[in-house]
Amino acid sequence: MSILQNMAIRHKLILIIMLVCVTGLVLAGVIFISWESSVFRNNMVQNVSTQAEMIAENCKASLAFQDAEDAKETLQALRVESSIVFGAVYTKERKVFATYYRDYAEMKVHPLEFQESGFSFDEGFLSVFRPIVLDGEVIGTVCLRSDLSPMYQMLKRNIGIIIAVLFLSSLAAFLMSSRLQKVISEPILSLAKVAKVVSEEKDYSTRAVKRGNDEVGLLIDAINEMMEQIQRRDTELVDAKEKLEVRVEERTEELTTANKQLTQEIAVRERVEESLRKTEEKYRIQFEGALDAIFVADAETGIIIDCNPAAMKLVGREKSELIGQHQRILHPPDKIDGGFSKTYKEHFKTKQGQTLETQIITKKGEIKDVAVKASLLEVGGKKVMQGIFRDITIRKKAELRQAQLLEQLENANNELKDFAYVVSHDLKAPLRGIKTLADWISTDYADKLDESGKEQLDLLVSRVGRMHNLIDGILQYSRVGRVREEQLDVNLNELASEVIDMVSLPENITIEVESSLPTIKCERTRIMQVFQNLLSNAVKYMDKPQGHIKIGCVEEKGFWKFSIADNGPGIEEKFFEKIFQMFQTLSPRDEFESTGIGLTVVKKIVEMYGGKIWLESKLGEGSTFFFTLSEKEMGVKNENLKTSFIS
Amino acid sequence: MRIKVYKLIVLALVLFIAAIAPKAWASSAASSEYEVKAAFLYNFIKFVDWPGEETADSSEPISIAIIGKDPFGKAFKPIEDKLIKDRKVVVERFKGLEELEKSGAKDKSEQHPQIDAIRKCHLLFICRSEEEKLEETINLVKGHSVLTVADTEGFLESGGIINFLIEKKKVRFEISVAAAKDAKLKVRSQLLRLAKRIVGEKQSDEAKN
Repeated sequence: MSILQNMAIRHKLILIIMLVCVTGLVLAGVIFISWESSVFRNNMVQNVSTQAEMIAENCKASLAFQDAEDAKETLQALRVESSIVFGAVYTKERKVFATYYRDYAEMKVHPLEFQESGFSFDEGFLSVFRPIVLDGEVIGTVCLRSDLSPMYQMLKRNIGIIIAVLFLSSLAAFLMSSRLQKVISEPILSLAKVAKVVSEEKDYSTRAVKRGNDEVGLLIDAINEMMEQIQRRDTELVDAKEKLEVRVEERTEELTTANKQLTQEIAVRERVEESLRKTEEKYRIQFEGALDAIFVADAETGIIIDCNPAAMKLVGREKSELIGQHQRILHPPDKIDGGFSKTYKEHFKTKQGQTLETQIITKKGEIKDVAVKASLLEVGGKKVMQGIFRDITIRKKAELRQAQLLEQLENANNELKDFAYVVSHDLKAPLRGIKTLADWISTDYADKLDESGKEQLDLLVSRVGRMHNLIDGILQYSRVGRVREEQLDVNLNELASEVIDMVSLPENITIEVESSLPTIKCERTRIMQVFQNLLSNAVKYMDKPQGHIKIGCVEEKGFWKFSIADNGPGIEEKFFEKIFQMFQTLSPRDEFESTGIGLTVVKKIVEMYGGKIWLESKLGEGSTFFFTLSEKEMGVKNENLKTSFIS
Repeated sequence: MRIKVYKLIVLALVLFIAAIAPKAWASSAASSEYEVKAAFLYNFIKFVDWPGEETADSSEPISIAIIGKDPFGKAFKPIEDKLIKDRKVVVERFKGLEELEKSGAKDKSEQHPQIDAIRKCHLLFICRSEEEKLEETINLVKGHSVLTVADTEGFLESGGIINFLIEKKKVRFEISVAAAKDAKLKVRSQLLRLAKRIVGEKQSDEAKN
């Protein structure tokens, strides 16, 4: 079919016409031949049947009276018909009664099997059987065979004629169609030529010439119309093209600008990436070089993703043994069973960034205490946990040890306190006895004792008094912090004047309260002890003819700094610490009656209130004792203090 | 050895057949002649037209009368039941004319029932036993449409219509057209053509040789 489609219209038309012609003729020829041959056959059968019937009629008597000669003679009549080559009469017993052969036909044709009636075409013969009926009874059969070759010859001749006719009419059809096809093909070809000119030369002004008003004419009209439109469009297109060029230029410019911007953006991004990379590198260096162990695990699954060398060292495992494992392998089983993971997650929710103390287990099964600081990070769109572990086993041990020591110390201290109290309290009773006894002796035996005896007895009494003071001091000291008094608001101005009254001042010494003192919340007796001890010391050791003692108070950040200054002998700097120790006095006992406990008690009280005590001194010029009291712990309404001061 | 035995058996068979065959043939030849003749009689009826035959009652049988000493024996047996021209065929046997005359009225009258019957029949076969009374017998049916047949020499000359004769061991016949015409019988040409001799018609004579 495609071959037909690619042919020139001219050839197509001729071919179609020829095909139609030839097909028609061949069909007609075939029908004619077959019809003719069938008619011929029918005729032949009819003919031969008639002959056979005639023979049958004529042979009746011969057969009835068994006269074969006569039958043979009857059969001889067939000579007239050249096509019949064989004839035979059969008796009803199916025996050949008489035969007839034409010319040499005896050689070729043999009598056929008996058959009552009918006909058949075979072996190039038409065989016809006809019964011989005498008075309604079949008494035999006639068989005639006719040669078909004449028929075939005629058929052949007819076919030859038809072929000749076919050839001739095809030739005529060809000649006519090759002339007549022009009627159709020429306008189309001219149209094709026009189309070719248009497509090759792009000349849309070309027009096809119309020749008639048939379909091709309409087509030409339509094409001419189309060409006109195309021509119009072409002009429009040229215009549009020019506009487009301008637009393209504009667009190109825009694109160039955009490109530049993009390049800049890329540069910026590269810088950012570079810095990011550096940050990453830094992080990496920190990560790798950190002294603390760092584990990174998937926040969802808890699978370890990364760890640093310190981490490997901490748990005693290689990196390959850790990555891909669940983080629970880091912790002792009891921690996991105890819901470590759960607490760990809780920890994330509530205490992210805080330090958690837990335990880890090494590959060898060693359990270590660690402080963990965990944080939730996002790396490449994936949530990860980063845990920084610090081995605090040593610290933990130290802490434990410290706590134990502290407890021991506390116990020892308590025992000592009790001991001091018990000792001082229990020693006082016999001492009182000794003193009473000594008084009795000096009273009762005053006349019997000589001077030296009295002198020695006085010495005994004074030594017992000193002993008593010592024990009192110790008792006081031990009471500090042990026996609690009621906390009261104490106006120190009032308290100072009270203390000054209590200290028996010699004529040559003056005590001056330089500034207003605050009201504080405290155990009144203790604070009184502080002021009493310090003032009495200042008075006791005064070596100048005109003694001046000043009490001052300065409010500093969060505390009050009290000062008690004198112009006494002063203290060497090397004794600054020593004087606060128990039973330490700088001068001999006999010179100044002193227990060596006072300052110790003062120090203890001040420190009990969270304050400090120290001194400044110049030898020969005097000393100033400073102590501080915390405003936070002891402060009361400063308003009151001020108003009281004003009034 | 085997071949010899086989050959012997074949030989014995051949001898046996040779011993029996002639007898069988002889008897069949004798009877077959009259069988053929009987069949011919039937066929003659088919090729001869009787006057008024078309209008005749088909229930009435066609009768064949055999006069004289019957030589047919059982020759009619195989064809007895056949219809000819759609009618039954009846074979009646009569004694010779001499005996008839003896038994019946002698005065040639037509009163004799047997003779009446003879005259009414379609075909009358006159046996050889009646050779001497041939003409008389023929005359007996003169004026009636009776096809007279015999196998006696000079039958046609005596006025008979068809006479059998043997030619080359085959049964043939001769016909007297004139006698047939007298009996108002129409003999068909097909039958005439087969006749060995035709009396009373020139043309037929010439046609045959």
